[in-house]
Amino acid sequence: MASTVIETTALTKVYPGRVTALDGLTVSVAPGVTGLVGANGAGKSTLIKILLGLVPPTTGQATVFGHDCQTSGEAIRALLGYMPEHDCLPPDVTATEFVTHLGRVSGLPPTVARERAAESLRHVGLHEERYRLIGTYSTGMKQRVKLAQALVGAPRLMLLDEPTNGLDPAGRTAMLELIGRIGAEFGISIVVASHLLGEIERICDHLVAIDGGRLLRADSITSFTQASQVLAVEVEEGLAQLQAELAARGLSATAQARMLLVPLGGDDTYDVVRDCVAALALPLCRLEQRRHQVEELFRDGEEFQHA
Amino acid sequence: MPDAGVQAQHQAGGVIHDLGYRGYDGPRLGRVPIVKALTWHSFRSAFGIGRGVKGKIVPVLTFVAMCLPALVNAFAVARGNARLFGYDVYTPSLRVALVTIFIAAQAPELVSRDLRSRVLPLYFCRPLRRGDYPLAKYLAMTGALLVLIEVPLLLLYVGTIASARNGSAVWHETRALIPGLGVGLMWAVLFAAIGLVLASFTGRRAYSTGIVAISCVLTFFLALLLIQAEGGQSATTTGARIAGLFSPFTILDGVRVWLGGDAQAGLVADPGRYGPLYGVLAVVVLAACLGGLAARYRKASQS
Amino acid sequence: MTTIELRNVSRWYGNVVAVNDVTMSIEPGVTGLLGPNGAGKSTIMHMIAGFLPPSRGELTIGHGSSWRNPDVYRQVGLVPERDSVYAFLTGEQFVVSTAKLHELPDPAAAAARAIALLDMAEAADRKIATYSKGMRQRIKVAAALVHDPEVLLLDEPFNGMDPRQRLHMMDLLDKLGSEGRTILFSSHILEEVERLSGTIQVVVAGRLAASGDFRAIRRLMTSRPHVFTVRSSDDRLLASTLIRGTPIAGTLIRDTSAGRPAVTAVELTRAGLQVRTSDYGAFCRDIAVLARDHDIRLREVLPADESLESVFAYLVAD
Repeated sequence: MASTVIETTALTKVYPGRVTALDGLTVSVAPGVTGLVGANGAGKSTLIKILLGLVPPTTGQATVFGHDCQTSGEAIRALLGYMPEHDCLPPDVTATEFVTHLGRVSGLPPTVARERAAESLRHVGLHEERYRLIGTYSTGMKQRVKLAQALVGAPRLMLLDEPTNGLDPAGRTAMLELIGRIGAEFGISIVVASHLLGEIERICDHLVAIDGGRLLRADSITSFTQASQVLAVEVEEGLAQLQAELAARGLSATAQARMLLVPLGGDDTYDVVRDCVAALALPLCRLEQRRHQVEELFRDGEEFQHA
Repeated sequence: MPDAGVQAQHQAGGVIHDLGYRGYDGPRLGRVPIVKALTWHSFRSAFGIGRGVKGKIVPVLTFVAMCLPALVNAFAVARGNARLFGYDVYTPSLRVALVTIFIAAQAPELVSRDLRSRVLPLYFCRPLRRGDYPLAKYLAMTGALLVLIEVPLLLLYVGTIASARNGSAVWHETRALIPGLGVGLMWAVLFAAIGLVLASFTGRRAYSTGIVAISCVLTFFLALLLIQAEGGQSATTTGARIAGLFSPFTILDGVRVWLGGDAQAGLVADPGRYGPLYGVLAVVVLAACLGGLAARYRKASQS
Repeated sequence: MTTIELRNVSRWYGNVVAVNDVTMSIEPGVTGLLGPNGAGKSTIMHMIAGFLPPSRGELTIGHGSSWRNPDVYRQVGLVPERDSVYAFLTGEQFVVSTAKLHELPDPAAAAARAIALLDMAEAADRKIATYSKGMRQRIKVAAALVHDPEVLLLDEPFNGMDPRQRLHMMDLLDKLGSEGRTILFSSHILEEVERLSGTIQVVVAGRLAASGDFRAIRRLMTSRPHVFTVRSSDDRLLASTLIRGTPIAGTLIRDTSAGRPAVTAVELTRAGLQVRTSDYGAFCRDIAVLARDHDIRLREVLPADESLESVFAYLVAD
């Protein structure tokens, strides 16, 4: 069993008109749920097309589960489930028919396709609705159908492109939970391409950030969200007083919006803060060690190329 | 990684089954069964099966209309007349009209629908080759046209031999039928390609229908006008002989005559020594359409 | 400084009531317009922009109604959700043409300024058809800003933008809001709305469900107990202290009044101690004191459902 799911080596794609979509991308994607972030347009979608074996790279190599994307496209596509970003559902068929049909096109025998279609629709949470025409579905239901068709072929890897696009907050939460469950319980590796760093932090184990066709950074999420040496303290009132009291005890805190950021010298900083708050009888509504965020990569990093 | 299959947890007197996700380790079918499945699915769409009543109106009515001459013939023969129509031409103008209507209505159903709903990436991300999708569509459309064209011919045949007096009449009919089926096959093969490639330009059904219909009708009338201008079907001028090259219907009719058919029964003037030109052009048009179709979907798979 | 006022505004299409008796007031600064899909947010925005008249009720921007009032059009910029740009124009041409439609004295300069504000100067001479989704969004915003409007309405402005573009847009809206413009934007990404503005208007099924600062809205939800997650050096001791209250000397009576937290439940979980309390303020006041008195180190005190995400979920569920 391969320990990496996707592996690219100096992958380069130059389109006619000298548009460089990928420029020497070398990255290894481990099993689990991986987030794929990058500037709009060229890099990410080109990478997906190359992995699906639809577009050959100009130079370099890409493999999925050890199969080369250029020579073994069909074998790879048999192992892959893909959920495109755009609307891709015909309005005049039912979800059951559609997913069953795509199951057949994935190479499943007829009865297996029917059964797996029913199961996939159940797993994504579509019940009686599956017998209605897709044209009558809400955005959330349509996204679920897209996910079900990616699941029906029993993939080992799923590529999800902006899966929460167009969903309202409740729909987003439901979709993220579903994806998390698939990654954790179904034993399927997932690559989620998304612009929403918050949701990537929520559900992904790893992150691959692409910038201008090149790798910006690839690491586990925990390395991006490591604890910083800053303690955030929020009180409902009396922020200035608290700042002064902390300063009197030797801790210089900076105010940021409704919070105070206190440098964490050691474990006793917690006690000092607690004691100051207690002494001033202030209402403490938040106390936490700040973590770094994936977003910081984009605040300080190099300029993204505009697609 | 969770266990596949059913896991029962036994409590005293009770069982909880694991309804979690199951993978699939069973056999996976190769390209041929997949293409067959896609072809069958498309063939059904060509007749509006699985699409509700509205989708069936045009294909069914066209088919019924195409069968009517055969039915009329059956009655006529039963009354002692000779067979009314030739197997190789059937009723030429009706056939031109009905084939045009069928491909104008149904080719968009096969290809424009998928383009409009942007579902193609879901096909191309599956274990098919790029060319398999247009291949399946083409086979389906050819099959649909074969039904539309050949079944009426078979009905004509059956209706005629039902009133046949002896075995040699039946044999005579059978020998006449075979070339007719051959002509029908040519029509199916060529017009499936023409209809699909024209319809594959756009996802808007109305435009596709329009493009197919107008292309067929305009070229057909152009050819007819040219033939008339040159003196009609019995004319022997060069102009008359090559006038049929301007429309696929007349090209195929020219091929039919070149291969031994009767010119007067059909649409064109006798091509004479230009016969081979008709054959070549038919092949060229077919190749161009199929090539165009393949190119169209190669581009679509990469976008 | 312009305030948008809606008074008993309704909008219906035949039997479908898209907006149902909404009264709201949108002050200068940045306000988030939230709601499930199909709740009527776009309809409200289009009415404010003057594209639709209300079926009933009054809608004023500043002092004028927005329906068929050209003066008001000068004050308002709308960035609609749908793609509404001519793809065959270049970005610059599009913004300049919008400037001309507004009859600005120097369309080219105004366009250049707006384009620079959105950081689109490099791509401005390319056809819009070649733009990515995020770039199209930005050029739409540039066109909406070219006439320097007092009021800016944005329908899902962050849709399709990559992280860097989102941060840039948020900074821009923040700046514009602090300049005194009235900015109303709708979004489903609540983390970003929370960051940009505490003031929200929540629309559910055509009706106004809540408005104001979401933290204040949360306080109003008294039927829902507040949940906190606490991690400390001794969760169990802290839990029992929170639950017990203070014994009155010499008796077995527990005095749970007078400053002790109104804690209704504590649960020890892997994430720490989960505390449910009906009195948010009392808990906040007492937690540090209690921890100090029992010599417990507090490592983390987190409100579990004070975020905009939670508030919104509660509002929509009701």
